[in-house]
Amino acid sequence: MATLTMKEAKQKAIDIVLAIDEEGSAALAQEALDSGLDPVELLQEGFTVGMRRAGELFEAEEMSLPEMIIAADAMLAAFDILEKAIPEGQETESLGTVVIGTIEGDVHDIGKTIVGTLLGVSGFDVHDLGRDVAISEFVRVVKETGANLVGSSALMTTTMVGQQKLEDALAEAGLRDKVKTMVGGAAATQHWADKIGADVYAESATEAVQRAKEAASA
Amino acid sequence: MSSYRTRMGDGRVVELTEAELRADLEAGTQDAAERGGIPPLNEEELGFLFELFACPYRVVGVEPGHEVVLTDDGSVNALYGAQSSSGTGVPVDRETAIRVYERAMGFDTMELGHADYSFKAVRPIVALEQQAMEGTLQSTIVPMFYGGMPNMALYARPDGPFPNPADLLPEGRIDEAREAQEQAGERVTRDMVFVAAKMAEIGTDGINFDTTASAGDVEFLATLRAVERVALDTDLAIEVGMAAEFVLGMHGEVEYRGTRLAGLYPHEQVTLVAEAGAHVFGPVVNTNTRRSTPWNVARAVTFVKACVEAATIPVHANVGNGVGGVPLTETPPLDMVTRAGVAMVEIARIDGL
Repeated sequence: MATLTMKEAKQKAIDIVLAIDEEGSAALAQEALDSGLDPVELLQEGFTVGMRRAGELFEAEEMSLPEMIIAADAMLAAFDILEKAIPEGQETESLGTVVIGTIEGDVHDIGKTIVGTLLGVSGFDVHDLGRDVAISEFVRVVKETGANLVGSSALMTTTMVGQQKLEDALAEAGLRDKVKTMVGGAAATQHWADKIGADVYAESATEAVQRAKEAASA
Repeated sequence: MSSYRTRMGDGRVVELTEAELRADLEAGTQDAAERGGIPPLNEEELGFLFELFACPYRVVGVEPGHEVVLTDDGSVNALYGAQSSSGTGVPVDRETAIRVYERAMGFDTMELGHADYSFKAVRPIVALEQQAMEGTLQSTIVPMFYGGMPNMALYARPDGPFPNPADLLPEGRIDEAREAQEQAGERVTRDMVFVAAKMAEIGTDGINFDTTASAGDVEFLATLRAVERVALDTDLAIEVGMAAEFVLGMHGEVEYRGTRLAGLYPHEQVTLVAEAGAHVFGPVVNTNTRRSTPWNVARAVTFVKACVEAATIPVHANVGNGVGGVPLTETPPLDMVTRAGVAMVEIARIDGL
């Protein structure tokens, strides 16, 4: 049997994620290991690239939400296999811990769920608190997990004020200097983020991931 | 170098040079053209938009004879709604507000809607809404619509009986999420048809299915099915307004008469809405708060122009808070609202606002 080269493996990984082929993803991961390829390089320059492109296709309305989530599952199927083969000391480090949720009084969480999914497959540890989340719950989980990023979503002008309350509550709990805040949702804007003192605002899910990475590494 | 006062998509005032203004208009139309697979605006149209945004006057209007129908949706929230809910907080009841819209503001059709504005919430109190509509019909001359939203999210837990796709999808339970949406969609259609029938009973002129597809492609399908039934069973005029510029693929596989619904843009949406039997279509194009209003208006007009050209029914574009090129702010600024309106009329050739 011909041995798989890294170049071939990377391209196949991208194609498989975009083809949302979960079984093919796991099989490729195993074949790559059998061929002696570096699991870290394949993950970072193959599967992760495929997932980033899936996110871009979703933003361009060329991929549905279920398809994007299956693509994420396909990537994670490979990750489970490749991760076990990573030599000690070379493990991929988490980019950080993110607590994310929709502000209390607001039940719109499609966008927040998409952002959470993309953050997860991009290397963050994500704690998705769901919708209609009390400010005190955000603060409690940030404290408990030692999160370095907290994201809140608000779709309505009536609930976006909760994002200001979260800023205040984090400060009151002595956590504001330890955690970066990220706001999103249809009602939020860069101006609003600046006004309430939030660290990050993003217009789309893929931009949210990019801005979260920048904030986590700052 | 001269500069022009305009606004960003979040309402902030910004000064643009002539080159910046022209570049934003060009970039806005190109973005729509690339996303929608539709033609960009031509040089003459871009020139018109440049003059529109270069005009120093705060309020602008269309040429005499180019006036279009003014159709209200969202009930009369803009007048009596709280300021924190994008209203102006004027202390009037909704029937009085409707008469103010008709008699003082010159609206050509009006809409009555419940404060919750969801068909699910209206179903158990429809008799009260019928009574309110009867009173309004007797005190107004303009055609009266009853309006509401399909709001399919209300049918998912914890607010409704069906599993919530937003819970199932992140867990990878795709088939269950799709099945839950299909079940919820059937109930959405049922409630929309029920309320429409009740309104038809008392002589209402029309029904407005507003903010359609907010929960994605299955909600759009549910609305199209409701339109079919209402068109068949009643004489109501049927208006369908959208929630966003494209249909979000929360399911991804549902089709209507052979067309996949996920990812459809206004010029594709209107065709299906007309086929289902609706009489008026209200396209939505979302505002990008990071870009200037000229960029947003050029983009919105490009989409809506293609929609009008594809339409066999009247198109009443949504031009309001955060849509149709208008900035997203608590109260949309008149300078930009009027420019968006003029652009929609003079370039997109809409039938109504």
